[in-house]
Amino acid sequence: MSLIKYLIRRSLYLIPVFLGITLLVFSIERLAGDPVQIATFGNTHITEDQRQRIRQYYGLDKPVYLQYLHWLSELLVLNLGDSFGGGSVSNLVGQGILATLELQLLGLFLSLVIAIPIGIYSAKRRYSVLDVTLSSSALVGTSIPISFMGIAFILIFGYYLNLFPSGGAQSTIQSQYLYGNVILDQLWHLTLPTLVYTFAILAPVVLLVRSSMLEVLRQDYILAARASGLGDRAILYKHALRNALIPIVTYVGLYFGGLLAGAPVTETVFNWPGVGALFVVKTNVLDFPVIQGVVVLITLMTLVANLVTDLTYAYIDPRIRID
Amino acid sequence: MASLSSRPRKRRVSGVIGVMALLDRLIALYPPNCNVGTNPNCPNPGPKPDVWAIGIPPSWSFPFGTNLAGQDVYSQIVYGARAAFLVGIGATAIALAIATLIGLVAGYFGGWVDNVLMRLTEVVLVLPFFLILLVFLRILFTLSPGASGGLLVIILVIGAFSWPGPARIIRGEVLRVREFEYVAASRQIGESGFRILFRHLFPNTLHIIIVLSTLQIAGSILTEAAVSFLGFGDPNSITWGRQLADASEAVKQAWWAGLAPGIFITLLVMGFNLLGNGLRDALDPRLRE
Repeated sequence: MSLIKYLIRRSLYLIPVFLGITLLVFSIERLAGDPVQIATFGNTHITEDQRQRIRQYYGLDKPVYLQYLHWLSELLVLNLGDSFGGGSVSNLVGQGILATLELQLLGLFLSLVIAIPIGIYSAKRRYSVLDVTLSSSALVGTSIPISFMGIAFILIFGYYLNLFPSGGAQSTIQSQYLYGNVILDQLWHLTLPTLVYTFAILAPVVLLVRSSMLEVLRQDYILAARASGLGDRAILYKHALRNALIPIVTYVGLYFGGLLAGAPVTETVFNWPGVGALFVVKTNVLDFPVIQGVVVLITLMTLVANLVTDLTYAYIDPRIRID
Repeated sequence: MASLSSRPRKRRVSGVIGVMALLDRLIALYPPNCNVGTNPNCPNPGPKPDVWAIGIPPSWSFPFGTNLAGQDVYSQIVYGARAAFLVGIGATAIALAIATLIGLVAGYFGGWVDNVLMRLTEVVLVLPFFLILLVFLRILFTLSPGASGGLLVIILVIGAFSWPGPARIIRGEVLRVREFEYVAASRQIGESGFRILFRHLFPNTLHIIIVLSTLQIAGSILTEAAVSFLGFGDPNSITWGRQLADASEAVKQAWWAGLAPGIFITLLVMGFNLLGNGLRDALDPRLRE
């Protein structure tokens, strides 16, 4: 089967999955009861009449299935409705998603570039002093809460050493810009959160590359390659790595969705203006239109990440395309 | 070679058990100082927050210091340990029970049953469950501020959304095991599907279930820490995540209040991760050299 056909088949398959998820997200929120009632719970200044008018404004007085269909049809033209706090949800989410992706993709890229060579080295020199040191540190890295690491970084590099700003995406006033330059200032703000992200993704990938390489290096074709006189470097990077990459791609693809969902913690720690921090603020006041918008957006991006993962499989391993 | 390569594994597993036992002894030898703070779970709580004990650095009477509310960090660590184990083990029990059932049934019966169950698994796998957990908790604590079941809701939601990954792995193992000759033999002598499922396939996938459980415990503890850190946790119970959150607000005045919970979460999660890795090496015959 050609790659194009494979791509089309996989994409078509995502449509029912996506519809199922929108239905699930929508009903989970409606299960809790009337959104207006919940969002204004305990507020004595609002009368029942005013609540009714809010419901009418947001179309919440119609039957639930009509609300769902309306929301879904608006979703197709990227209109996510109005936030309870005022303003269009699409605008709020649109602003946040760029900041979130900037951090995520940079962290993912850096960690892969660092983790793969480390993992390969560890597998090659199994139980050497450096391997034991590196894989034990990676194990600590997978176990440390990201919030703890973030606070420690802010305290050490931001407060005591005063090297980096402790939060935000850029300085509020122009005179505070690093060397008076906006771009430099933004990079300066990006450093600490990126470091934390990179460490968080790095650690599990190192362990995975190591175990995956160990598995592959035991196979007969590696022995055959060695017997035919190939050098260590050619065996490791050309023959072994290609087969060892499959579980790593699976993991990174799955992990990307998890990362997006984990964005609230890092973005809150660093006061980063992404969708994660937006979600925390809006969930605290139960702004349902924004909550729905963010959940659907993150789900959609996870689905796209899965699609990219599948395509990468087909690229790395031609055997998969035949299925 | 076999003895050489198995030595580090054995050392690892026993090392974890050793560290846990040591922590247990330490807590027994050094009971929490309950005369300080407003710790509601303390068997003998002090009458009021101790204004003289605000923000004391680690010392002999307060080994991990006190926070800015005048509470002893060590006492809170001891009570938080209970919540950490409760969340870790509770959520894992739910997740792995669902995962085992779905994995076994989908893998053994195959066909449309497998298809339906795996599509369902994929849908749940894609859902950003951490975000949904936050929404659930905020709704719960808005409608009933004094709700005492906050920890239970966290356990239920983590459990209800964490099964897809393990379910897929268990299904994969069932697909492998069901091709074995003894399964064909039991079918030949007329054993029923369910008997084969629970008497033959289940025990032979148990090693994977055990390993997945330890890793799931580690993951659940980290999730609870993240939830509490964001301020969505149970306001009525002491957890390490909440301690970390409280400390982060005044980290420049009392860094020690966040240091202890952070280290304890890391140690416990690492312990379960190590246990999982060690068990995998010990139980999976394919990894033996």
